[in-house]
Amino acid sequence: MSEALLRVERLVKHFTVGAGFFGRVTGVVRAVDDVSFEVRRGETVGLVGESGCGKTTTGRCILQLERPTSGRIVFEGVDLAALDEQALRAVRRKVQVIFQDPYSSLNPRMTLGQILAEPLKVHRIVPDKAKRAARVQELLAQVGLLPQHARRYPHQLSGGQRQRVGIARALAMEPALIICDEPVSALDVSIQAQIINLLEDLQKRLGLTYLFIAHDLSVVRHISDRVIVMYLGKVAEVADRKALYEDPVHPYTRALLSAVPIPDPSLEARRERTVLRGEVPSPLTPPSGCVFHPRCPIAVERCAAQVPELREIRPSHLGACHLA
Amino acid sequence: MAKLLEVRNLRTTFLTSAGVVRAVDGVSWDVEEGETVALVGESGCGKSVSALSIMRLVAEPAGRIEAGEVIYKGRDLLKLSEEQMRGIRGREIAMIFQEPMTSLNPVLSIGRQLTEGLEIHMKMKPPQARARAVELLGMVGIPDPERRLSQYPHHFSGGMRQRMMIAMALACNPSLILADEPTTALDVTIQAQILELMRDLARRLGVAMLIITHNLGVVARYADRVNVMYAGRIIERASAAELYANPRHPYTLGLLRSVPRLDEPRRARLAPIEGQPPDLTRLPPGCAFAPRCTYRVARCVEVPPLERIGSEVHLSACWESEALP
Repeated sequence: MSEALLRVERLVKHFTVGAGFFGRVTGVVRAVDDVSFEVRRGETVGLVGESGCGKTTTGRCILQLERPTSGRIVFEGVDLAALDEQALRAVRRKVQVIFQDPYSSLNPRMTLGQILAEPLKVHRIVPDKAKRAARVQELLAQVGLLPQHARRYPHQLSGGQRQRVGIARALAMEPALIICDEPVSALDVSIQAQIINLLEDLQKRLGLTYLFIAHDLSVVRHISDRVIVMYLGKVAEVADRKALYEDPVHPYTRALLSAVPIPDPSLEARRERTVLRGEVPSPLTPPSGCVFHPRCPIAVERCAAQVPELREIRPSHLGACHLA
Repeated sequence: MAKLLEVRNLRTTFLTSAGVVRAVDGVSWDVEEGETVALVGESGCGKSVSALSIMRLVAEPAGRIEAGEVIYKGRDLLKLSEEQMRGIRGREIAMIFQEPMTSLNPVLSIGRQLTEGLEIHMKMKPPQARARAVELLGMVGIPDPERRLSQYPHHFSGGMRQRMMIAMALACNPSLILADEPTTALDVTIQAQILELMRDLARRLGVAMLIITHNLGVVARYADRVNVMYAGRIIERASAAELYANPRHPYTLGLLRSVPRLDEPRRARLAPIEGQPPDLTRLPPGCAFAPRCTYRVARCVEVPPLERIGSEVHLSACWESEALP
C-alpha cells in the first residue's frame, strides 16, 4: 500500500451563528465533528453523504479555505497549520479543487486562454509568455477541448465544456491532490459519463490523487477505490469500495444504498426499500449518542446514550455503530 | 381507460437573441385516468415547457404556444379564456415544482397558502377550509398539523416544503398533477420518502400524474408509461417495462448505458454519449440526435425521422430503430 498523501486527524469545524448584539453567540453548528481519514497517493477516495453532513466543509478545511476549530490536516507529512503564508502558497498549488458549478467559478470577462494562463503567470509556473500559450494549448488538449476554445468566453460553452475548463485550470497548477466537490452533479446525464471518464484518464496519465465529494452513490462507487460515508458531521463508515457497497456495516449506509432508484422497472417492482423516517436533524442541535439514532431502523436504548466510536469492524472496514 | 389529457402536435416557441427556438416542436402524448406518465430528458429538451404550455403559463411575449391542442376532459385548454383557465389551474390540474421555496409565498403562513385555494376554488368558509388544511397536512405526513398552520415556509425543511407543495396540489381534488422534477433538489433519503408518498397518495386518490424528470431510476420505479424527449421532440415512447427492457432509440439506449448502476458489477469504463447537447437555435435538418449518434446512416443527416415503429405501444423516432442491438 502506498504512503498517505493526506491525513485528516480528528478534524473539527464549528461555525458560530446568530451573533446578535455585541456579537453574542446564540449557537454552534457542528459542521465537522471529529473526522479522521487518510488519502493515499494515486487513489480516489469518495466522500459521500447528504446535504449538511460536512463533506464540503471537510474539503474546504483541507483546501485551507476554512480554519479548522481543532484537529490537523497533514499533507505530504507536513501539518498545514504550522506553515507560514509563503509555505502555504506552495502547498495550495499542490492541492487543487474542481467545483460543482464551473460557471460561477469562471470569470465571465476572461477568455479560456486567459483563465488558464493566469495561474501559470501568477505562480510563475511558466513565466515565459510564448511557452505559456503553448502550455494553455496543451491543457486544452488534455481535457478534450480544441485549440480555438482558447479565444472563447465561458458563456459560449456548454456545461460539460465548462467543467472541462474547471479541470484544466486545476491541472495548470500541476497538483498532487484534487478535491472534486460534486464535479458532475450539475451536468446532464449524458455528459456526466464523459467527465468521469476524463477524470479517470487524467488520473492514470498524470498520477493524480482525488478526494471525490458527491452525494450520488452510483457515481462514487464507479470512481472510488475507498469510500467514506458521513452523516451530520461524523464519519459513519469507511471501507474499500467493494466491501462498502456489497457488505455495508452501518445502517445509514444501508439506507442510503436502498434509497437509490435503479433504472430497471422489473427489478424496482421486486425491491424491498428501507425508507428512512424523519429528516436529517439540525447540526445546531445534534441528537445525543449516535447522531443517526432518531432515524435508525435498528436503534436500541444504548444508541441514544453513548456516542459510537469509529472502530474496525472487519479488517480495514471501519464503522461507527454499536450494533455492527 | 379513458384519456384524461391528450396533447396533440403542441408547438411552443421562444424568441431569443439568437433567433426563434422551438422548445417544444410538434409533440403529442396523453395521460389516461389514474396513470403515471413520465416525460424524461435532459436540460433544454422541452419537458418543463411542455408542462407550462398545458397550464398556459408560458411567459409571454417571448414565449408563444404556436400550434396544437391540449384536450383535457374533452375541452381544448388552449381555446379557453383566461377566466376559464383559472378554474382549471389548481382545481383540475395542479402543479408541483422542483424548488418549493421559490413557489411558496414567503410572507403568507402555511395555513393561508393552503386555505386560499380552498376558499376560492371550492367556495369553502374559513373554518371549513382550515379543517381541510389540517387534514391535508396530516395526509402528507407533516406532524402536528394544527401548529404548523401558523408557521411560514422558512420554518420548514426542504422535504417538509415539498410535502406542503403536495398538500397544496391535492387540496382541490384535482384529476391530474404535473410534477416538474419534484425531488431533484432533495437528498436521496428524503427523495425516497417524497416519491413513495406521491405514489401512495396518487393511487389512493386515483389522481393521474405526469412526472417530469431527468432521472431514469425515478422513472423506472414510479411511471407506467414513459416519453423520452430530445431537442423539443418525443423520440421514444413505451410502457416503462418495455422501454427499459427494449429501448429502440439510440438516445434512450445511450442514456441507459451511460449511468453507473448499483445493481450491476462495476464497469471499468463508462459509456458516455459523445458530443454536446443540441443547440436549439441551430438544429440540423435531419435527426437532432444524428451528430452524436453511433448508429447514424446517411439518411439520418438529411431527413428527420418520424415516430415510426409500428404500434401505438412502442414508438421510436429513429430510421435505424430495427437495427439497434
